[in-house]
Amino acid sequence: MQDGVVLTTLDDFLNWGRKNSLWPMTFGLACCAIEMMATGAAKYDLERFGCGAFMATPRRSDLMIVAGTVTLKMASRLKVLYEQMAEPKYVISMGSCSNKGGPYWQHGYHVLKGVDEIVPVDVYVPGCPPRPEALIEGVMTLQKKIANERLLRNKWVKHA
Amino acid sequence: MLNVDFNKLADLINKNVQDAGAVVNVPEDTKCDSSITVSASRIYAVVEFLKTNSEMPFNSLHVMSGVDYVEWMEVCYMMTHFDVQNPREFILKIKITERVSPTVDSIVNLYAAADFQEREIYDMFGIKFNNHPDLRRILCPDDWQGFPLRKDYVAQKEYNGMKVFPDSKMNFDDREFIVRQNMIKKAQKQAAN
Repeated sequence: MQDGVVLTTLDDFLNWGRKNSLWPMTFGLACCAIEMMATGAAKYDLERFGCGAFMATPRRSDLMIVAGTVTLKMASRLKVLYEQMAEPKYVISMGSCSNKGGPYWQHGYHVLKGVDEIVPVDVYVPGCPPRPEALIEGVMTLQKKIANERLLRNKWVKHA
Repeated sequence: MLNVDFNKLADLINKNVQDAGAVVNVPEDTKCDSSITVSASRIYAVVEFLKTNSEMPFNSLHVMSGVDYVEWMEVCYMMTHFDVQNPREFILKIKITERVSPTVDSIVNLYAAADFQEREIYDMFGIKFNNHPDLRRILCPDDWQGFPLRKDYVAQKEYNGMKVFPDSKMNFDDREFIVRQNMIKKAQKQAAN
């Protein structure tokens, strides 16, 4: 390696860096957040996948894990947080509630029927709540997605 | 309930509070709890008496809750006396028949614990509390329409530009959904009469 030559495209190099240093936002809404905390803690250790640095501000994070029930009261706040994140940004919808309303789907007057009503979602993780392994699979799916992006060509502004 | 002779307590209330109209409700099922209903306009005086009397005092308000029976609405006060030698508790109820703008007196002056409880009852049932220091919604957003725990409640279509029940995501043929809608229609008809 010392005297060798490594050839790669700039896109691949940037994506490799980005996908292995995803910074999620410290943002939990309900019981799924407990599973998210377990995923970040010692036993499941999300840091192994370069995704454990939970940032305390949306301005420094590039992944929002919507973990829990999004009520209509919370939805407008969630949208503000999403808009405060710097591009390029990603959303994982974790659990049935944020996927499609969950148990509040048919009768819940106070719950948003899926977080994709207000923000674009990259990966849906099913479960109620999903086990930490499921969230890790969701994160890895997102990493695969990021690895295939053409950032320099057309992704400087993701949702332009 | 614990250590309370209901007839004695009702007599005590009637004797000491004018127009209290205390009545003991004995449930048919003996496993259920008895309670005392007093007239809604005298609730402040009754609770004040229960707190300050020396014969059977109650030093704590445990919980407040609301119930909608469509013909009337109820506010329940779970009164408790925390005392090692002689603990006791019972349920005090008031009936409210008014539905458009129901109003009762607040008891926050007597028990500070009533503050959030009364706000929640206002939020869910629309019962207004006179002399409450800060009566606004506690769980729903401030600009929410309607009172969700009333039997004839129908959720608004839209909130802040978000659809509450998006057509593409609902199953209107769901049996439970139809049953619920029929119950709401029945309650609306009943409330209108």
